[in-house]
Amino acid sequence: MLRHIRLPISNIIFPVPVPVPKRTLSTSAILSEKALPPRLKLNDADITISYLKGTGPGGQKINKTNSAVQLIHKPTNIVIKSQATRSRSQNEKIARQILADKVEQALKGDHSRVALKAARERKKKASRVKKSRRKYRDLDGKIVEGEGEEVMENLGSGEDSEGRMMEEGGDNATPSDSDTDTVHGVKEAEEVDRR
Amino acid sequence: MPRIPTRLIVKAYQNNPLLPLLLRECRSLDSARNELRWLHERALHIARQRAISGRSGGNYPVVGWRGLFRSMCLARSKGVPLQYILGDQPFGDLDIKCVRGVLIPRHETEAITFHAAELILDILSKNNWMDRPKAATLRIMDLCTGTGCIPLLLHALLSPHVLRLSVVGVDISPTAIRLAKENTKRNVRLGVLSERALSEVSFQRGNMLEFNHDGFPTMEGLFPRIPGLATSPEPRCDILISNPPYISPREYYHGTTARSVRIFEPKLALVPPVNLSPSMVQYRNIRREDLFYHHIAALIPRLQVKLAVLECGSHSQAIRVAAMCKDVLGKCNSTGSILVDIWSVTGYDGHPYAVLVRSR
Repeated sequence: MLRHIRLPISNIIFPVPVPVPKRTLSTSAILSEKALPPRLKLNDADITISYLKGTGPGGQKINKTNSAVQLIHKPTNIVIKSQATRSRSQNEKIARQILADKVEQALKGDHSRVALKAARERKKKASRVKKSRRKYRDLDGKIVEGEGEEVMENLGSGEDSEGRMMEEGGDNATPSDSDTDTVHGVKEAEEVDRR
Repeated sequence: MPRIPTRLIVKAYQNNPLLPLLLRECRSLDSARNELRWLHERALHIARQRAISGRSGGNYPVVGWRGLFRSMCLARSKGVPLQYILGDQPFGDLDIKCVRGVLIPRHETEAITFHAAELILDILSKNNWMDRPKAATLRIMDLCTGTGCIPLLLHALLSPHVLRLSVVGVDISPTAIRLAKENTKRNVRLGVLSERALSEVSFQRGNMLEFNHDGFPTMEGLFPRIPGLATSPEPRCDILISNPPYISPREYYHGTTARSVRIFEPKLALVPPVNLSPSMVQYRNIRREDLFYHHIAALIPRLQVKLAVLECGSHSQAIRVAAMCKDVLGKCNSTGSILVDIWSVTGYDGHPYAVLVRSR
């Protein structure tokens, strides 16, 4: 992206300031965001906890550092293993959270907490991507306009041609850029589908 | 010990050049990766702390963590227990400081302590202690306490439910007593232990075995010193819990004891000493690894213990200890019935075994 911007800059003599369309750029969190539904509470009787692994005797004879915890949710047969921390109780908490999310997802599908969260994230990302695309498109437009001006000076033609040239430049100057953009867009869609 | 396949070492090296070092002690890629992650986190943390304390705050890049990380991995490759390198071990929700010379708390002990807390709460809820007024202090004694992990975790688990507690940890090692006291303060500071623990948990240096060496107080001499016990005319204790040394010399030297444990952890906390006690004459055939259990069993009737939880090393040892408890208690106790059973839990690979003695 930057390459395309940098190259023509050397050619610019003195670009005439162009009025930039004003857009509100808010960085604060969206206040109207709805709270996510609470996590599913799992029944303790449905869960089998096992502390893994390492073979042979334990106790005083061997100092094990393995703290992995494995939870099995019997009704859905979902297995979660966690060995994030050195504390078994901490690992159990983490595994329980993940298990609750997975079970909920299996039961409710798109209406589960995780799915809602993911959808929200996706939406945010899409809007972010859209914004940045718009920004770079505008930037490209500006640069091309500078180029067009140069050309215009050389030709010494009137206002009408300036506008035309600019438009032409906008179409032709950065074909590769627009290409990557579309490719990017396709990728984005694929990702969305996969999710 | 089986040789580590070269392919595994190469694979580990490709993952991280320091990983083969950890593989020497961990023996499996999975656990080596875990340890590498924990060591990395800690090295970064220490370096960051140094940076903060050295220069007044500031967002400087973290300097020196690589060297630290490397030396940690090198120490681990020589077999130094991870807990001694990192300096702590989680125990329940607590964070127990570990130093050389004191046994590192084990996962089995953690499981047994949780179970003991459940049992105590169960007994309290049934309220079948006839002679016990509601507001009375619940007295708990932990023998061979080491880092103090058992008394501290019991206090953390019981204090929300029990009005007044008195927990005493006894150990022969002065290093252990010092560390246990430090651990109390540390966990109160961390906020995982209530302020009550500072006054309700105490640690005493004492000798469990009857023979006197170096003039340490024996259990007899110790009772008057323990605040919870001294108040009553005759020493009494409601709960007795212990994880005493239980490895036989044979298993220690030629058996299943890990090299890292043999070299770096104190033998004092693992293998019972040769017994010299005169009262042991009648128990000539007792095994050395069961020595402590005999002394603890003798304490149960004398302290009028309601519940005793004794951690054992294996199922066969648990059977022996249970038989011994029945034998010793049968001779001493005249009133009330005594229930001895063996507790274990499936799902743990190490299989924690504990002998439970309940008297009514």
